[in-house]
Amino acid sequence: MSLTVVKNATCTFCGCVCDDIELHANAEKIVATKRACSLGESWFKNHTAERLYPEALIDGQEATVDAAVEVAADYLVNANMPLVYGMSNVTCEAQREAVSLAELVGGIIDSHTSL
Amino acid sequence: MIYWGGNPAECHPRHFTKYSLTQKGKFTPNGRKDRTMVLVDIRETPSAKAADLFLQIRPGKDFELISVLRALVKGQRVRADAAAEIGLPMQQVHDLVGMMKAARFGIIFFGMGLSMTRGKHMNSAGVLMLAAEMNAFTKFVAMPMRGHGNVTGADVVMRYSTGYPFGVNLCRGYPRFNPGEFSTVDLLVRGDNDACLVLGADPGATMPQPAIDHLARIPTIVLDPKVTHTSRLARVHITTAVTGVSAPGTAYRMDEIPLPLRPALKSPYPTDEQVVRRIREAVQRRPAWLPGRNGKHGNLVSHGM
Ligand code: SF4
Repeated sequence: MSLTVVKNATCTFCGCVCDDIELHANAEKIVATKRACSLGESWFKNHTAERLYPEALIDGQEATVDAAVEVAADYLVNANMPLVYGMSNVTCEAQREAVSLAELVGGIIDSHTSL
Repeated sequence: MIYWGGNPAECHPRHFTKYSLTQKGKFTPNGRKDRTMVLVDIRETPSAKAADLFLQIRPGKDFELISVLRALVKGQRVRADAAAEIGLPMQQVHDLVGMMKAARFGIIFFGMGLSMTRGKHMNSAGVLMLAAEMNAFTKFVAMPMRGHGNVTGADVVMRYSTGYPFGVNLCRGYPRFNPGEFSTVDLLVRGDNDACLVLGADPGATMPQPAIDHLARIPTIVLDPKVTHTSRLARVHITTAVTGVSAPGTAYRMDEIPLPLRPALKSPYPTDEQVVRRIREAVQRRPAWLPGRNGKHGNLVSHGM
C-alpha cells in the first residue's frame, strides 16, 4: 500500500500549532506522526477518512447535507436572536464565513474565548 | 519567563521545547541555561519540575498576588501579612520582583487557571497591566496560553471583521461588544437566544447544565466531524471534515502567526467552510430579515415602529 508523506504538516490540537510535523498516511488513516507530541499523535491518529457517521442528521434521522442546510437556514432566518458559537476547531476561512452568516441573520457571534 | 495558572508540560507539550524554554536564540545562545522559569499555580503540576522557582499560591488568590507584584514593582509599600494571605513568604514575592526586573526580556504566559478562576477577566487585565508597567524597567510582554487549535484565529478574524474579538452582537446591523451580556454562557443561561449554530465546539459536554438545557430547547445546529454530545440534543447535525487532518485552510498559532494547514487525508465529508457558505447562500435566497417578520414584535411594527 502506498504511503503519502506530508512534510511540515500542522497540528491544531493545542494552541502551539506546531507546523513541523511529518505525517505518513495511507488512503484511510495516518499511520505515523514524526515530531508530534503524544497529544498531537493521538489527535492525528484518531481521525480517519472513513465514513463513520451519517453525513447529516435532522431531528436524529439521517438526511442529506442539502436538506440539512435548508433546514438550518430556516431556523436561523426565523430566529430573532440566533447565536453562532464555537469556532475553535475550524479554519479562519470557515470563521470568516461564520461572521458573514451571523451578520446576515442579525445574530451574535462568539468563540471559546468568552468562556 | 513566568507561567501563571497553566500546565504546559501536560497541555501544551511542545511549548517548552519548540518555542519558549529550551530553544536557543540570538540573545540566549545557551538555551535553557540563559533563561529563568517561574511557575505560579495552586498545585504542583508536572510543569513545576521544569521551573527554577515554583510559587504555590492559595486558590483564588491570583488577583491578590498580581496586585502585590504591581505595587512592589513600583516600589510601593506592601503590608507584610498580604503575602501570607496569598500563601507565600514575602521574601519569595520580593525575589520574584527582583528576577522580573533583572530580566532582559520577560514574558508572562497566563493560562486558564488564571483567567477562569475567581476574578476571571480582572485577573487577565491585571497580568496585562503588570506586563505593561514592567516596561518601565525592561522589555516585558504577556501572552495567553490558548487551548484548542484555532481559538486565536477566531479572535483575529472577528477582530478584523467586526472590530471586537468575541461576543459580538450584530442584531442591530452593526457590531456591539459586551462580555457578560453577549457571551455564550450568559446568553444561554438567561435563555436569550432562540437558535444556535455550533461549529467546531461541543458545548453539550463542557457548559453548565442550564446552558445545555437551553440548547436543547431551541433549534440548535451542529457542524462537527463527530456526532457529539451537542449533536444529540440538536435539531440538525452536519458532519464535516477534520480541520488540519482532512480540511485545508489557515490556523493561527497562539502568538498570532497564521499557519497553513496541510491535510494528509481526503475526507468524504465537506469542510466547515463549505457548509457554512452553503447555509449562508441558503439564507440569502430567503426574503430579507425585517423586525417583526416572524411575528414576535408584530404589534410593535403595526404601531408604526
Ligand atoms: S504537536 Fe503537541 S504541542 Fe504541537 S500543536 Fe500538536 S498537540 Fe500541541
